[in-house]
Amino acid sequence: MILYEFEGKEILKQAGINVPDSQLIKSSKEKVNLNFPVVLKAQVLSGKRAAVGGIVVVEKAEDLEKSLVSMFSQTINQEKVEKVLVEEKIEFENEAYLSITYDTDFRSPVLSISESGGTGIEEKLVNQYKIDPLTMRLKDDHSNLIRLPQELIDKLIVLFFAQDCLLLEINPLVKTAGSEWLALDAKLKLDDDASFRHQDWIFPPRLAPGKNPTQNEIEAKKIDEGDYRGTAGSAYFDLEGDIAILSSGGGVSLTAMDALLESGGKPANFTEYSGNPPREKVIKLTKIVLSKPNLHGLWIVGTVAANFTDIYETLMGIIDGLREVEKELKTKFNFPIIIRRGGPREEEAFAALQQVKDFNLILQGEEVSIQRSAKIMAEQAKQYETSI
Amino acid sequence: MKLPSKDAKILGQGITGSEGSRAVPWMKAYGTNIVAGVTPGKGGQEVEGVPIFNSVKEAIEAVGSIDVAVQFVPPKFMKSAAIEAIEAGIGLHIIQAEKVPTQDASYIVALALERGVNILGPNTAGMISPSRKLKLGLVGGGNPSKMFIPGNIAVISKSGSMAAEISLSLKSNGFGVSWAVGIGGDRIIGSDFVDMMLALEEDAETKAYVIFGELGGTYEERVAEYIQKGKIKKPVVAFIAGEFTQILPSEVQFGHAGAIIEGSRGRPDHKRQVLREAGVKVADNFDEIADLVKALAS
Repeated sequence: MILYEFEGKEILKQAGINVPDSQLIKSSKEKVNLNFPVVLKAQVLSGKRAAVGGIVVVEKAEDLEKSLVSMFSQTINQEKVEKVLVEEKIEFENEAYLSITYDTDFRSPVLSISESGGTGIEEKLVNQYKIDPLTMRLKDDHSNLIRLPQELIDKLIVLFFAQDCLLLEINPLVKTAGSEWLALDAKLKLDDDASFRHQDWIFPPRLAPGKNPTQNEIEAKKIDEGDYRGTAGSAYFDLEGDIAILSSGGGVSLTAMDALLESGGKPANFTEYSGNPPREKVIKLTKIVLSKPNLHGLWIVGTVAANFTDIYETLMGIIDGLREVEKELKTKFNFPIIIRRGGPREEEAFAALQQVKDFNLILQGEEVSIQRSAKIMAEQAKQYETSI
Repeated sequence: MKLPSKDAKILGQGITGSEGSRAVPWMKAYGTNIVAGVTPGKGGQEVEGVPIFNSVKEAIEAVGSIDVAVQFVPPKFMKSAAIEAIEAGIGLHIIQAEKVPTQDASYIVALALERGVNILGPNTAGMISPSRKLKLGLVGGGNPSKMFIPGNIAVISKSGSMAAEISLSLKSNGFGVSWAVGIGGDRIIGSDFVDMMLALEEDAETKAYVIFGELGGTYEERVAEYIQKGKIKKPVVAFIAGEFTQILPSEVQFGHAGAIIEGSRGRPDHKRQVLREAGVKVADNFDEIADLVKALAS
């Protein structure tokens, strides 16, 4: 989960890292009790706010309301501005970039520092130092290389582990004339897989940065909330096409989507379920996937070599879901439905599916590769479209 | 990475649970020598004739040294189970748990490095070698011969299911596998493509590799680097999934925890390009994998 700047700064503050005095406001009418000049910062998840008017300096109190009205009316990288962080403007002498993240090159957490911070960090020289997760300290002594105070770096590393961060980024980290270091920005990404040990994480659910979520995307995300049996819907995206997708398994889903697009098929969504989710989760996801208008096909695709997923339960769950959506939407699905799947209880599942007469089912097993299945799906959907 | 031998002695951690107790008879039926299990508090029980002990230490005292620990342990207990087995001196640890906190993964990967032992995973379906009758983990489920037959191709994959799909495609084209390995789809893993390939360079049965990669991270790029350095000499066929994700916003995770594009890093098209530049045969679609393997063989 990516945190908003104000949430990240609160965590920094509690860990003893200096941040500017600030106030979080939700409307342009709210009273601001800070010394001017102040900086208004739109609270959106996507970076690069400054270039599109998401960061504005206000010199005098009388200009504040006008600037706030303008900021609250904005949409920044497709995210509507609903909260603004008002901060006292800090004068500084030096700025640096600092981040801690897991790096596949080092296969370890890594501290990255650039002596010059600010926007356009991608273009600047960044030094990387390996962190030892066993000691929670830098792997080697770099005190002669790093000009930031050791105590500050130590605090941030401890915070990174204590909060199960995937990313802790401060850009810029600045030094005032009084030699005080302050975090002027904060981007924290928390590891959702560690949420079982963080009762302290009480952040409301959110979606991907830089994207205004659709209703389906919001609903799909809710399926996994509070139910840890398998996953269904955690990754869901609406797309423009006419073929509904229910795919399972991380690698297989990616392969299937690439194959469908290459075959000229147009997916209506991306989604993935895995890890043997219970029937009711699969039904919910099926409902979301099929709630879209103008579908010309449904592709239920996964490996034919599932190790553990109960194929009977999941496929029958999908059929139940189809029937429920038909009832709810008072419609009838006549489009082709291709099922390419196998694994535990597959024989039972396929025997039962052969008895299903209210849908146009095409059943495929190990004799049809993912690539071939994609091609058949694309062709079938086109045929159906021209037939109606 | 040191590849386990044909007669390797296997310990199952957490085999009294639902996944483990289902997998044990599958492993035994395949011919894998699973000699003991560990579940704290369940010592004295048996699972399919395999004796269960309260600790790894007790298990080793009873059955002698162990070569491989296969974990069937939920994500929140992964770290303590791994530490216990690493400290008991076991050389290879297969960690199957999904949704492991990245911090815990990085901790045990660092510990294994310090102690000179190997980890496969987390989030792996394990590894299988038909000629050695070794099935270490859920890979292949109850019917591994459906897709894995003996042969000379090593399949190394970020996805266990895709290792099976590729092996099945190879089988229907007349090829078998020396090893099929799921390295796991997480950000921090114990053994990556290169670690496996460096071990397989020394394996006489392996004549070529097929790797399945996907968006995210830099483990595929490292393969290109090692080929260019001359450390990997056997021919490589690669398939990289996730092209379509490039039309969606970045910073989004697709299925596997490591499957994420961050800034310009982790893009499938970049991976393909550097692999091609290193001389790897990169398949444009799934069915082409078997065609490229055929071309190597002729």
